[in-house]
Amino acid sequence: MITVITLPAEIRFVRLASLAALQVAEIFIDSLNPSQSDPGFCDAFELSVSEAFTNSVRYAEHPEQDKTITISFSSENNKLTVSVSDTNSPFNPDTPSPDLSSYPENGYGLFLIRQLMDSLSYKREEGTNRISMTKQAYCSQNYNP
Amino acid sequence: MKTLIIIREQDYEWLHHFFPDIHPLLVPICNKPFAEFLIDFSILAGSEALRFVMDGPLSDVERYCDNGNRWGIPVSYASIQSTDDLQTVIEKNQRFCSAERVLIINGFIFIHYDKQHNYKTLLASLPDGEILSCDSGSLSLRGSRSETQKVLENIPLSLIRLDVIDVYYRLCMEILNAASSPYVLPGYSNEAYCHIGRNVVISKRAEIRKPVIIGNNVQILADSIIGPNAVIDSNVIIDRESAVIDSIVLANTYIGEHLEVQNKIASGNILIEPESGISIAMDDPHLLTGINTSGSSKSLFQSIVHGLAALLLILLQLIPFLILWPILTLQGKWKKSTNSYYTAVSEKYLILTTTAIERTGPLSTLAAALSLDRFTLLFRVLIGQLAIIGSWPHVVTPSKITEHSSTESCCRAAVFSYAETEEWPVNIGDTAIVERYYAAHGNPMKDIALTLKALFNRIHETNTHP
Amino acid sequence: MIISENTFNNITVIALQGTLDARNAPQLKQFNSAGAAANSIVINLSEVDFLDSSGLGAIVSITRLKRSQGGDVILACMNDKVRNVFEITHVYKLFDIYDDVEAATLNAEKKQTSL
Repeated sequence: MITVITLPAEIRFVRLASLAALQVAEIFIDSLNPSQSDPGFCDAFELSVSEAFTNSVRYAEHPEQDKTITISFSSENNKLTVSVSDTNSPFNPDTPSPDLSSYPENGYGLFLIRQLMDSLSYKREEGTNRISMTKQAYCSQNYNP
Repeated sequence: MKTLIIIREQDYEWLHHFFPDIHPLLVPICNKPFAEFLIDFSILAGSEALRFVMDGPLSDVERYCDNGNRWGIPVSYASIQSTDDLQTVIEKNQRFCSAERVLIINGFIFIHYDKQHNYKTLLASLPDGEILSCDSGSLSLRGSRSETQKVLENIPLSLIRLDVIDVYYRLCMEILNAASSPYVLPGYSNEAYCHIGRNVVISKRAEIRKPVIIGNNVQILADSIIGPNAVIDSNVIIDRESAVIDSIVLANTYIGEHLEVQNKIASGNILIEPESGISIAMDDPHLLTGINTSGSSKSLFQSIVHGLAALLLILLQLIPFLILWPILTLQGKWKKSTNSYYTAVSEKYLILTTTAIERTGPLSTLAAALSLDRFTLLFRVLIGQLAIIGSWPHVVTPSKITEHSSTESCCRAAVFSYAETEEWPVNIGDTAIVERYYAAHGNPMKDIALTLKALFNRIHETNTHP
Repeated sequence: MIISENTFNNITVIALQGTLDARNAPQLKQFNSAGAAANSIVINLSEVDFLDSSGLGAIVSITRLKRSQGGDVILACMNDKVRNVFEITHVYKLFDIYDDVEAATLNAEKKQTSL
């Protein structure tokens, strides 16, 4: 399953992006055995894409250039990967976690993604930033016989 | 009736200190998470809904209990402030508590109950107010009731405050020793005093002394002694000539060879003496022994054997590769991805290009069956960067480098994985534990046999990548 | 997002409806309640179907402002999806969270009169 969605780099499209992620995750889960799936799986995609898309729009320097953001999904066994690509300047994805004890008002984006997803990777290629996020559909923790 | 379970961070902090990776509500008591005992009791008490209220993190509990479907009781969650008194907690859960009677379990306490009793009728006949209490918690009833009230003298319930590790240890032992268990223990009971889970391999030369409870995916090797009084959770390996007596082994633990665990709690690389509360972290991950003893001559021999095997495979795969690779590339079914990986073979981070073949046509199915996706990786074996068989290399993301350097150091990154050989379930925890086992027990000749087995398995496999 | 304002037990209740993400967060941040600045407010989240860190930031921001003026923000009726974001970010520790709007307003009023 490969799905690619390209949207203008404007904040009014953020909900479209996160809803698309939610839908794709739901379709993916339906194709597996849904009873065993991690209950927060689809919500994790919705939230992660909302965060990644918001970041991409926030750092788009020249909005007059009709920039776009591409969201692509791919699956492998029971793993779903979503990538969010933009043409902004390169950035360092290895930002420190926000200081949770001071309850900051922002800076949670990548932190939330790391918490929700199994893995997060960043690639800079031919002028494109690409954040890929992967999550496995089954819980690894299973005490029940 | 509904049940409100109020637990505060300060009451369970001590337990978090011993098992930092497990939420205190999910710490298993005889292989069943503590939270489930609370859920079971709520159901016995006739509850139609249950809510966990905490001033600390809830997400792990939520992930485990979800909406309560598994038990047939709706489970919800709510946060409070650590300074809130009971009245405030009830106000914050006004909607949940209104219109119905509420059983309030307040504190980090274990409730001794017996599933034979009819708590539903009993609780319905009790007046509002406190039923039982101990130093750090209580059980109380609240709300409107219409029936006539009578006070019972002897309530078949008792509370125990969970405040030190010794209480936890003794509680597990007590439940294990209860002949007809008053609790519902994990459903794999088949014989009194001996509960054994699924996918458990016990060597013929191992000795099991009742009472024991053993979880799922457990391997017990030759000449080891399990019990009496052993609680072994899931994904555990007890290696040769080791003993687990009067002890608890938590999930994902590897007990190395010739190790005697007596009156202890083992969890990962932590060994706890319950009586004194002293815990020792073993330097070897997962109490792993014997992994570092292999001398350089063995490793050299091993690299040569692996190199030769790789060379042979390269020769065999060369022609099919040269034919199929260009076709599949053109069809777009040959998918490459590049990532950083960690390997203990050369103790370095490697940049590897891995391939996934989309199995959608006869040619790509053939290519996958021949393991051509691993072809390019074989050259890495020749130059000693990878082993031919071992563990799948771990993808390293910048944030995870530090974690990996300590826990994964025993795994050899390789072209084929032991997990593939054993057709082990696709589950991170299980795969890791079986790979640790082979990392400790593999030898060059066995490696060749296992590589062949992996190659053979991949012919039937429908998945393209672990 | 629809923001509506009501009064219960002399406390202003701001009901949010819809999605609270980067697109709508500024709308909430700029929302000027008719109530006095120093008074506490209750935010009813029962109709919020999705919230991300931008929405969370907006709530934290107006709470900081309220608290600096001597008032407070009390949250009511958050669903599990919204609660999850508060949970992961530990922001739940910053708030009194009620499962019922009326109980929240009664408590806010009690607090206000005791000051």
